Amino acid sequence: MSQTLKMDQQLDKSEVMAHEIKQSKELFRILFYRSPIGTYIIQDGCFRLVNRQLAYILGYEEDELIGRPVLSFVLPEDREAVREKAVSMLKGECSLGYEFRVINKQAKIKWVMETVVPIYYRRKRAILGSLIDVTERKQMEGRLKQMTDEMQRSNTELEQFAYVISHDLQEPLRMVSSYTQLLSKRYRNKLDDDADEFIAYAVDGAKRMQTLLHDLLEYSRVGTRGKPFSLVNCEHVVEQAMANLKIAIEECGASVSYDVLPTIMGDEGQLVRLFQNLIGNAIKFRGEEAPQVHISAQRRNNTVTFSVKDNGIGIDPEHSQSIFDIFRRLHTSEEYPGTGMGLAICKKIVERHGGHISVQSQPGQGSTFYFSVDMAGGEAE
Amino acid sequence: MKSKTAKRPIEILIVDDNPGDVRLTLEALKDGKVQNRLHTAHDGVEAIAFLRRKGEYADVPLPDLILLDLNMPRMNGVQLLAEVKEDSALKHIPVVILTDSREVEDIAKTNNMQADRYVTKPIDFEQFIKTVKSIIDFWLTTVKIQTEER
Repeated sequence: MSQTLKMDQQLDKSEVMAHEIKQSKELFRILFYRSPIGTYIIQDGCFRLVNRQLAYILGYEEDELIGRPVLSFVLPEDREAVREKAVSMLKGECSLGYEFRVINKQAKIKWVMETVVPIYYRRKRAILGSLIDVTERKQMEGRLKQMTDEMQRSNTELEQFAYVISHDLQEPLRMVSSYTQLLSKRYRNKLDDDADEFIAYAVDGAKRMQTLLHDLLEYSRVGTRGKPFSLVNCEHVVEQAMANLKIAIEECGASVSYDVLPTIMGDEGQLVRLFQNLIGNAIKFRGEEAPQVHISAQRRNNTVTFSVKDNGIGIDPEHSQSIFDIFRRLHTSEEYPGTGMGLAICKKIVERHGGHISVQSQPGQGSTFYFSVDMAGGEAE
Repeated sequence: MKSKTAKRPIEILIVDDNPGDVRLTLEALKDGKVQNRLHTAHDGVEAIAFLRRKGEYADVPLPDLILLDLNMPRMNGVQLLAEVKEDSALKHIPVVILTDSREVEDIAKTNNMQADRYVTKPIDFEQFIKTVKSIIDFWLTTVKIQTEER
């Protein structure tokens, strides 16, 4: 009785083992041969074992690869680097996500990303590798880089263009404006009324063009003539901006207040200009009451968001994006003088400091301008 | 001491290739109260000939003040300035850079120039008159200091 039981047990045991072996073979087959990742073992520089996906990536049948030297599939320019990787691998180092190029059977170049670990296979040192095809991603990256480069180039060219234009137009304009002013100075009331009027228009036109060019020049200089970033105390910056606006502030009895403001990395001159434009706008577009401007700052992680709040005439939300465009004006020059460059310059300065500018406002209810700055001075290229 | 220099007109050499600017300077000088004579050179080469009284310039007076534009053909303002300041016969003449370039200070720093003053040509004519007047005032004080030093 006990004998048969023992036999049965042994039989069961070997059946179980056979079953387990079958199962693990199946699992291995699925994991290895059906894996969507190219998987292989390399020994003595040659493929010992490869799966279907690797063969597919290289464009061969699996058995065509066995025994072939691995480096023969690598693009000649990349061979030395791949060989060095393999050498350091055999010293026990792993290599994660190394990218290089291979040549497939159809003589096409493909980018692949390989991860390899050192192993023992049949008691000899070997390399277990896995590899995926990243050609598409690489091509996209290449296109993206090309596009970024081109955009950057055209942007720089445009800035340079605006700079040269606004700079070089100053000289002939100076001639026009100086001589029309000279005419007006020497000949007013000596010619007829028409002449006086014509000269007055010419003088006025030249003056307005000067302001436009001046502001355009300043705008283009934000990108091309900026100073390197340094530590800047924003309270000093606001004080300087207020000092520059002293006359305007006193004339309309404006009050400008600010909370504790941080020290950041930035271009001090540009930050003064930024606050000066925003505070200046708050005063210029004031309502019935004396202007009140309040500046505060909030820090989150590495970003500081400043707000400049006023009690002025406000802006229709419809225009809350377009007011930052160059030469954008919402009023006639009789109502409010200006070139429409102030906020465009602000936007450019904020962007150079790695941030964004926006406004929240309703007509008649004041405006709050928000702008963020990267504290660490991550200068936008 | 001031009366000593004020008796004869100030001899001014303006080096500028733009006749409009030369005339404008002349008009601005007319507005001032100081007697002056304005001489013109259109570029650095002409200016050097004038200063060393070569050829047609044999009989010209040595200027008391040089007004210098930076952007000129042939020899530009930077080169001319260097030449003047290296010449022992000329280096005492005050040189005022009067130019279009808004980066005049930057240019001055990078070239390590030795001009006595840097002025950007104002776009506004009234402002231009004031600028020229301030240059003349500057010259008068410079000369005063120089004569006192002697």
